[in-house]
Amino acid sequence: MNIELITLLRAISGVLLFTLLLALMWLVWRDLKATEQQVSSGRRPLGRLTVVEPVGKTFIPTGQIYPLLTVTTIGRSPGSTIMIDDSFVSSEHAVIAMRGGQWWLEDRGSRNGTQLNDMTIAQPVIVTNGDIVCVGQKRFRIELEH
Amino acid sequence: MSTLSAVPLAAPAVVQTRQPRHSALYLLVLAGVFLVVNALQVTLVTGNPRVWLGIATWIACTGIGWILTRRLLAGTDRLIFATCMVMSGWGLLMIYRLLPNFGDRQAVWLVVGTVAMLTALRFPDLLGRMRRYRYSILLGGTLLLLATILFGTNPSGFASAPALWLGTGSVFFQPSELLKIVLVVFLASYLAEQYPVLRSAALFERKRRLFLAPRIAGPVVLMWGICVVILVWQRDLGTAILFFALFVCLLYVASGSNWVLVAAAGLILAAGAVAYFLFDVVQLRVDIWVNPWIDPDNRAYQIVQSLMTFSAGGVFGQGIGLGYPSYVPVIHSDFMFAAIAEEFGFLGVITVIALLMVLVSRSFRIAALQQGKPYQTLLAVGFCSLIAVQSLMIMGGVVKIIPLTGVTLPFISYGGSSLVVSFFMVGILLRLSAVKG
Repeated sequence: MNIELITLLRAISGVLLFTLLLALMWLVWRDLKATEQQVSSGRRPLGRLTVVEPVGKTFIPTGQIYPLLTVTTIGRSPGSTIMIDDSFVSSEHAVIAMRGGQWWLEDRGSRNGTQLNDMTIAQPVIVTNGDIVCVGQKRFRIELEH
Repeated sequence: MSTLSAVPLAAPAVVQTRQPRHSALYLLVLAGVFLVVNALQVTLVTGNPRVWLGIATWIACTGIGWILTRRLLAGTDRLIFATCMVMSGWGLLMIYRLLPNFGDRQAVWLVVGTVAMLTALRFPDLLGRMRRYRYSILLGGTLLLLATILFGTNPSGFASAPALWLGTGSVFFQPSELLKIVLVVFLASYLAEQYPVLRSAALFERKRRLFLAPRIAGPVVLMWGICVVILVWQRDLGTAILFFALFVCLLYVASGSNWVLVAAAGLILAAGAVAYFLFDVVQLRVDIWVNPWIDPDNRAYQIVQSLMTFSAGGVFGQGIGLGYPSYVPVIHSDFMFAAIAEEFGFLGVITVIALLMVLVSRSFRIAALQQGKPYQTLLAVGFCSLIAVQSLMIMGGVVKIIPLTGVTLPFISYGGSSLVVSFFMVGILLRLSAVKG
């Protein structure tokens, strides 16, 4: 009786192990699909804002990256797309937005102003790939997707 | 007004991946039934009901861990928790089957491990603290390792066995396991700080690879070198190789340069060649890897018996309790994979690999989701490459694909320090998985 019971248990254990394996394979497959979807939807941001530091004449990335959305707000308020905790930054400091097929940088009446390539901007200006935007003590390089 | 609140405020900007909460739960339940069926068989075959103590501990740890992780931190990766629980449960079952006297001890370590995981999950500002005190942490880890040289013992009691443990009475701890966490934290925080320098080829002319400059690489190589020298001194070569692989993985991810991999491959071949002539341990391991049949009863006994267990297992295995894995010396720690191969067969082996695959691939995804945060990315990469490389080293060694290096199979092998440290790493990975964007 014992031998029959053990054979039964072995069979059940084998079936369970096989189910476990199938479940794991299915999970891996689904993960792969989800990652694929995420990577392709991750392309949706139209570009990136890379935080850079000036060193001599060049700028080097610090490793921090923000996605560029069709309307990207920069400021100290928590509602901003890019929140910067810096007393030099106004709560609603600047906006980078896509209008009519162009990227515009606009200062939102900030106290310390917004600089584009080291020039303080007075009115909305068109920005392009590689421009350096300075808000408070932080500099962003605009990297557009093509 | 009540109708307004029912309307969702705004669609989330980023497409969130579905949290596979239910599939993780099903996986755990399935594994639980599997463990109970096998525990029943162990009781029937050996007549020793002690295994149920382990099963009860496992169910308690899994259940409490499942509820508490969600209570403590919302949005963690459930599947990572599930896979490491399945592996540790399976390991515990095998230990009760192979060495019933060691089982209770491992069950206690499972509880300690779960607590360590939950601590890593919720300890306030753990990552920031580890980053700030990295030099102190590393110094402490190195001192512990030095203490092992002075006061180290081996709980198994063999005179020739390497003394890698610290402890008194019946509680022993292996400092080299703790050093894994310490080294990942140190390397991740240091490389994250040097990230701009590592990444900018524009800073200097193209030809000079900046990360090889002594000012940048110096502290890393020094700290890592101290660890490796001590480990080699202690003849803990498996851990030394593991640390080298970790160092290469992190430097590769931080610098993004393929030359790191090329240089590392060259270095490890050179180091292997030198070690072959310097250390008789290495020479022995390589010789029996090339041909174990020159001395199958003596020096190559372990690896030959291990290969025998694989052939005895076949496709479906002998069934738990019905094989003879005890012919392999120290089956419960380094050769646990061989025991699974004999009693669960090819099916069991593939399932273990699949479990590790899910764990590692999901951990790498966590690392990828930490985009724009170098410290967190490197931390996640460090922990999951440690688990991946360690599993590959021991699984490859047991089936004689690569020379055998004595490291544990994460979560499955017998060993308290290894289990607790692995759970702690998973706790940090879970913590990182909850922070998205």
